[in-house]
Amino acid sequence: MNSNSENNKKIASCEFQDNLNILRQIDFFSTLPLELNKILAYLCTRDTYKEEEYLFHENDDDGQAYYIISGKARLFYNQAGKQRMIRDYEAGAFFGRLALLGNMPRIFSMKAINELTCLTLTREKFTKALSQFPDQMPKIIKAVAESIQGWEKRFLLHGSENCEACMHNIGVSLV
Amino acid sequence: MEKTKPPVVKRSLISWVWTSSLKLQVILILIIMIEVFARVIPLEMQKRIINEAINLRKIDLLFMYCGIYLAAVIAAGMLKYLNNIIQTIIGQRALADIRKALYHYILTLPLNFFRKTQPGMVVSSLITELTTSGNFVGMAVSVPITNVLTLLAFAGYLIWLHPLLALVSLSIYPIVIFLVPILQKRSNKANKKRVDAGRNLSSKIAESITGIHEIQGNGAFDLENQKYDRLIDRLLKIRIVWTLYAQGVKTLNNFFTNLSPFLIFILGGYLAMKGQLELGALVAFLSAQEKLYTPWKELIQFYQVYQDASVRYKRTMEYYDTLPDHEIAPKDRKPYDLEANLEVRNLSFVTDSGINLLDDINFTLKPGEHLALVGFSGSGKSTLALCIGQLYKYTGGHIQIGGKEVSELSKKDLVQNMGFVSQSPFIFEGTIKDNLLYACSARNDENGSGQDAADSMPTLDDMIAVLHQTGIFVDVLRFGLNTILTPDQDKDLVSSLLRVRQNFQRDFGEGLTDYVEFFDENKYLYYSNLAENLTFGAPNRDEFAVTNLPQNEYFLRFLDHAQLTRPLMSLGVQLARQTVDILGNLPPEEVFFEKSPVTPDELDEYKLLVERLNKVKLHELPASDRAKLLELALRFIPATHKMVSLPEILESLILEGRALFKDKISVEDPNAFTFYQISQYIFSQTILNNIFFGKVKTVNPQAQEKINQSIIQLLIEEDFLETIVEIGMEFQVGTKGDRLSGGQRQKLAIARALLKAPNMLIMDEATSALDNNSQARIQNLLDSRWKGKSTLIAVVHRLDIIKNYDKVAVMKAGKIGEFGTYDELIAKKGMLYELEFGKQ
Ligand SMILES: Nc1ncnc2c1ncn2[C@@H]1O[C@H](COP(=O)(O)OP(=O)(O)O)[C@@H](O)[C@H]1O
Ligand SMILES: [Mg+2]
Repeated sequence: MNSNSENNKKIASCEFQDNLNILRQIDFFSTLPLELNKILAYLCTRDTYKEEEYLFHENDDDGQAYYIISGKARLFYNQAGKQRMIRDYEAGAFFGRLALLGNMPRIFSMKAINELTCLTLTREKFTKALSQFPDQMPKIIKAVAESIQGWEKRFLLHGSENCEACMHNIGVSLV
Repeated sequence: MEKTKPPVVKRSLISWVWTSSLKLQVILILIIMIEVFARVIPLEMQKRIINEAINLRKIDLLFMYCGIYLAAVIAAGMLKYLNNIIQTIIGQRALADIRKALYHYILTLPLNFFRKTQPGMVVSSLITELTTSGNFVGMAVSVPITNVLTLLAFAGYLIWLHPLLALVSLSIYPIVIFLVPILQKRSNKANKKRVDAGRNLSSKIAESITGIHEIQGNGAFDLENQKYDRLIDRLLKIRIVWTLYAQGVKTLNNFFTNLSPFLIFILGGYLAMKGQLELGALVAFLSAQEKLYTPWKELIQFYQVYQDASVRYKRTMEYYDTLPDHEIAPKDRKPYDLEANLEVRNLSFVTDSGINLLDDINFTLKPGEHLALVGFSGSGKSTLALCIGQLYKYTGGHIQIGGKEVSELSKKDLVQNMGFVSQSPFIFEGTIKDNLLYACSARNDENGSGQDAADSMPTLDDMIAVLHQTGIFVDVLRFGLNTILTPDQDKDLVSSLLRVRQNFQRDFGEGLTDYVEFFDENKYLYYSNLAENLTFGAPNRDEFAVTNLPQNEYFLRFLDHAQLTRPLMSLGVQLARQTVDILGNLPPEEVFFEKSPVTPDELDEYKLLVERLNKVKLHELPASDRAKLLELALRFIPATHKMVSLPEILESLILEGRALFKDKISVEDPNAFTFYQISQYIFSQTILNNIFFGKVKTVNPQAQEKINQSIIQLLIEEDFLETIVEIGMEFQVGTKGDRLSGGQRQKLAIARALLKAPNMLIMDEATSALDNNSQARIQNLLDSRWKGKSTLIAVVHRLDIIKNYDKVAVMKAGKIGEFGTYDELIAKKGMLYELEFGKQ
């Protein structure tokens, strides 16, 4: 297999190589062995969304994770029939980890607010690839746990104590 | 016919001898008579040739007797052959009959039976275990008759020669007749064990093949191997014992029959010495005695076949000897048209092991009322649905439909009145249409064919309507659009499609450029393979098909001429290396290979090729390897095979090559290709690509939706939608429908039940694999078109769709905890409330 790495260099940068480079920078994948990342990079697809097109709707089980290559996407929450904007995601953002692990109808909706290009990976492909490397599952679980923990730490750090209602419901990292 | 006969599992093996081919058996007996007679004639001729012809020196008699002798030998030989043919036919027919009868019977057995029976077992019963029964039936008449007759003839001859000597030498046979069955009994015992062990083995194999995902997922190879090896070892031991006993019978038989000459020598010799027997007579006796051996051996063999066949036959039939829970068809009346009111009283269902799955269930539904069954999983919802649908036989209480007790109705009565969509519906191999019509055809088949049945089959409009209602219409349309037409197909179809293409270009051409890559002579097509890019046309002859191009001399010369050989080879090398590097160790699953230029079957071949590539230079490879690499390059689709990018230089070389190729071949072989032109239908491409005059670029669902809408609009304008859907209904769904998604399978299953338009419908979590919209759509359909018309019992896994049901039943641990309208139950703040809003 070693002889191949030099071959890789000779090949003009192709989409597969770019995908591989992206995956290796994402916390969720970076600790996985190269063999597995290669397969995932090969299985990923690139999707483009035009302005106003939805990546997913509330209650959809679209079953994939997204990495934004370029463009901007906005997250919404449906509150009593009114769409409430939550936040924007920009190039470099990776989200949807949990959807890779099991059925997960979305609680939020997300749409592109300008021309958006994403790298997406579906649960089916992820599971199939991972089943070839059963001993890697613990790393995935660890990465998910860490990202939840990290999220909550950041949440507390960024002045949420001002929101009394929120303080009653924090502790998602204790699930 | 079936009604008066006992079920197949109660029939004896012998009975098949008469039922399968009685006429043939009679003919066979006649043939045997003549055959035995023909065998005796040479003996008589022998005598006459010596006594009359040679002794009296009559040459004409010599010729005549020799002629008869010869004729008799030839006749005997031919009759023997005929005998064999008839035996084979009888045997194979009987085997086919037994297999059919048993299969037909097995299909009617209760579901419960199949909970504990593995498919592999049924397969081995029907395929392997019954073959000896066929052999036996074939032999059953001819072998014993032929051999017993022959035996009697020779024995009589012996007695006539010398009664005392004959009796002594024949006295061996009673001993053999006494001893053989004793050994055979042990052999049979081992044989029974062997049948059972074989059965376990096939179950085991079926289990591991079905569960292969789990085994590979857990890496449980050792575990499974151990289980399997243990069964094999057990079978090995049993088989050795069984074979040894069978051999034992043969040995014993040989031993005793060989004793016979010994007895003749000792007694005959004594008598000869005493002068009571002529030496000549003793020799004649000995040689006649020897003739006994073959028929006797054949009888013993026959006996063994009979024993083996009857053990296997009995063991197999015993296994399936349970009764169907319900009668299949009413005996002396037409199937009922039942009123669709349902009454369930004190219903209980207790399993064989005494577990109470349903307990004291009571409720009633008026015709056309809709009931939602909710409750935790395992609470017995499916069991209740199965009992009402007559798939389980309830053990206590009553279920009455239209005042008739369900357990006393025949299957036909129920099928006539009820549709059932099970929790995991099964889709059969065949087309969408076959599956759609499955329930209707089954119902009508049973009502007998003929005009009536044809009348009650759904029309194309009915089918299209139900495809719409269940939301699978667009999918079927897609299948239709993805069909590749053959040149001999309807000319009108093709010219209409060309019209659709024109309108498409006019109305949508501009708007869809983002989504469609049009066939443009001056542009590289990233969504088409390299061969298509180069030839830019559809081959009209097989030798120019993509798979044949790497061997096509003309094409290879062209590549050299266009200076494309070298860059294509190196592209092929890159593709092979990269694909093998990424996919080299993966199992042959669709997910892994859908974006690979190498198919799973070819992977190993290319792996070896890559290894060879690492050892020698490209130009040193054998021609076959170079062809393989070229083939890979020709398959290369830049937008799909992302592991390699298309070098810019190659891209422009190919565009130049395209022009060159067209010029060259239009002169040298003008009919080889039909070039892509806006005015020509392309028979190598799908209908959709033909309408587009290009290929879809995106998999993005929203873009797909837009494309679908414009296509549908166009097809409607041209009054062409139904034709395409009809083509789409011919789509082959694959084994178990594996070429459909889970959602499509469920929709198809619902469509199949709705198409039958039963007045009572049971749906067990029928929409669980559907997305929200599809689910809502089907719920609306049920509310608007079926309420008041058909009684519905729906097991519902999501509570947000139950508000419109007339009644809701909440099940808990096999009982109905609450029954009433949605509003009543919510107001009561009981179990439903708790399910919906959680504990307060
Ligand atoms: N014929 C049977 N013999 C033994 N157990 C059964 C049988 N049928 C169903 N069960 C068991 O009965 C329980 C209830 O099953 P089911 O009716 O399918 O529940 P639900 O549809 O509400 O999820 C389950 O635990 C199931 O395994
Ligand atoms: Mg169930």
